[in-house]
Amino acid sequence: MKNVGSRFIIFALILTNARDAFADDIAGQASIWFDRATLPTLILSVICIAIVVYAIRASKSGRGITIREIPGLAAVEEAVGRATEMGSPMLFTPGWGGDIQRPTTIASMNILSTVAEKAAEYDCRLIYPTHDPVIMAVAQEVVKESCYKAGYPDRYRPDDIFYISSSQFGYAAAVDGYISRTKPASVFLLGTFEAESLILAETANSIGAMQIAGTDSTIQLAFFIVACDYTLIGEELFAASGYLSRNPAILSSVRAQDIIKILIVLFVIIAMAWATIDPLSTWWKF
Amino acid sequence: MTPAGIRWIIFAGLFAVVTLSYLVVVDFGSLSSPEVQKSYDYLENLPEGAVVMVSFDHEASSLPEIQPIALAILRHIFRSNLKPVGVSLFAEGTAIGYRLMNKTAGEFGKKYGTDYVFMGFKPQQIAAILGMGESIKNIFPEDYLGTPVEKLPLMADIENYDDIEMVISIADGSLTVHWIEYAGAKYGQPVMAGLTAAMITSYDPYLSSGQLFSVVGGLKGAAEYESLIGRKGGGTRGMMAQTTTHLYVIVLIIIGNIFYFRSKTKSGAKQ
Amino acid sequence: MKQRLPVIICFLAGAIMFLQYFSPHPVARSVYSAILDYWQIIFAFTLLVGVAAYVKSNLKQISRGQDIPYRLVAIAGIILMPILAIIGGIKIDSPFLWVFENVIAPMQATVFSLLAFFVASASFRGFRARNLQASILLGTALIVLVGRVPIADMISEYFPKLTFWIQNYPSMSARRAILIGIGLGSMTTAFRVILGIERTYLKGE
Repeated sequence: MKNVGSRFIIFALILTNARDAFADDIAGQASIWFDRATLPTLILSVICIAIVVYAIRASKSGRGITIREIPGLAAVEEAVGRATEMGSPMLFTPGWGGDIQRPTTIASMNILSTVAEKAAEYDCRLIYPTHDPVIMAVAQEVVKESCYKAGYPDRYRPDDIFYISSSQFGYAAAVDGYISRTKPASVFLLGTFEAESLILAETANSIGAMQIAGTDSTIQLAFFIVACDYTLIGEELFAASGYLSRNPAILSSVRAQDIIKILIVLFVIIAMAWATIDPLSTWWKF
Repeated sequence: MTPAGIRWIIFAGLFAVVTLSYLVVVDFGSLSSPEVQKSYDYLENLPEGAVVMVSFDHEASSLPEIQPIALAILRHIFRSNLKPVGVSLFAEGTAIGYRLMNKTAGEFGKKYGTDYVFMGFKPQQIAAILGMGESIKNIFPEDYLGTPVEKLPLMADIENYDDIEMVISIADGSLTVHWIEYAGAKYGQPVMAGLTAAMITSYDPYLSSGQLFSVVGGLKGAAEYESLIGRKGGGTRGMMAQTTTHLYVIVLIIIGNIFYFRSKTKSGAKQ
Repeated sequence: MKQRLPVIICFLAGAIMFLQYFSPHPVARSVYSAILDYWQIIFAFTLLVGVAAYVKSNLKQISRGQDIPYRLVAIAGIILMPILAIIGGIKIDSPFLWVFENVIAPMQATVFSLLAFFVASASFRGFRARNLQASILLGTALIVLVGRVPIADMISEYFPKLTFWIQNYPSMSARRAILIGIGLGSMTTAFRVILGIERTYLKGE
């Protein structure tokens, strides 16, 4: 039996599977509120939360935060301008791999908000096909809000933000079809992508569209780098919200991310040196 | 030549290479990588009657690559008298999983309900994986055929992951990550994967950290597994096509670079 | 209030899911199980929303005369499959499953197989020895391409070993670094959402 200590099944007090240890363990856990096996995770989580909260509070007390230029995000304006000049639509899709609770999808919504605002400003059509009905509903709200913010609520076209299919290649075939038929001048592939990434990127490449891509799927990054004009690599996608909005609280959470990263690097270096000097040491394993 | 013209030539060449490769049968001899060997050894050393969960986490689209992997592993499971519990966290993997389990069980004279069961499909993968950590019967109150779980003798002693030795996720995407992150991290459940070749590298970090026990990857993995269980199948047949396709891509890269250097030389000469 | 209430709900849901992870107590377990049950129920309803929106959008486009053949196929599919499922069920040997295995599955496999063609065209276009870094990338790609097929063993026993080394050390360390960045990015984005700093997903940001 594996890892029984981390489990609790209340009716096991009455119905055991004839293994005494099972019943005893459960009885012993009835009033336990905290699982000690999760202590390292709790400590690390609290440290990370504290760093994020500290960075956000620090940002309120003064110094502004500068963030390096991210070419993919800087090119958003160019992509919208290109589509407007060519009189062609733009296509934005979040990939098949994510749902709304995935941070990558939320990060892509931030970029969608900026793209939609600029599209409304320039009166450029924005098509948003997706594989998830919840993402569709949220994207409709985001685009609608962006049109209001741009001062052109009448330029919101709900029919251009639509659900296609939850099937991976049904979705890929449909988006490919849209790209081939509507020939968008700019294509945004931002979200969680799987095997459909190269199919979409190469189709968009074949019609000469300008492409901005970004994903948290490391394997698909290689495909995007080959086929797209700009690629947001992993965490750049998450920094997009702060980069585009310049909101100090969001920017400071990006700084917190850097602080945690430095701590991880220090930990890895110390653990590596320790393990080299004392190969039997295990304190760094948890 | 226009880019569209070049594209058509490349596509036609690939079509010809793959088609012709399936007409030629080449025996590449005995194959085995450490990862496939590890998967094989684990299942081989389990005691008879041990329960493993086989999850068909793939779509129909990847069947040509997934099927040889699934068949090789299932044949090994039934040959070793292990008892598989089949599930599917992708709707499209459901019927495929059921057919593959029935087919292989039939080859070894195994009886449904006693030697193997297929619980069917459950949507919302993360919730289903986490839920099975608490109670498999709650998540699957009846099997794929509609039989209540209480009437399945194999399920009588199976409550949750504690009673499952290994989860084998046959996947064409990132669903195995959910098994690793939720069944593995939260419930300590060992996870093995059968993956399409395109997905193997994205699982390397999990593999080297030990979070993923082992991988049988792509047609090559299937061919290796077939070689270990001594029964050739789709993996072995596909090896020639895979080899020639890789060589074709290498030739394309070389030609692409010849064009590139020629155009560079020409533009240099003009300047 | 229109904004504050969703933010409060989001915070509470996030906090509960975070805290329950650390507790084996029956109360925590039952709350967690209930959340998982509701999660499944909500998902089932969102599918209905998706299908309704899908039909509405296609009918509207047909009435406008846009892409009529494609739209008709889409509508036919969404009507035919439930009818087949209601008449003959979805279990083994049903008409629904026959259509799935003999029409949908081959069509999907066809779209997936496009990937191989696009990999070939992208390799032809993308792998150019433009500079030193690109040349190293090109050389590595060639080694891995050969190393991943049985012919590598015939050339030299070191070929698969070299491929294994490239994949498991230089490639893996780079990928791990990217994954750590992604993990931290996901975590801070989640914090921003739970704390109500990130509200783009809400109307009226």
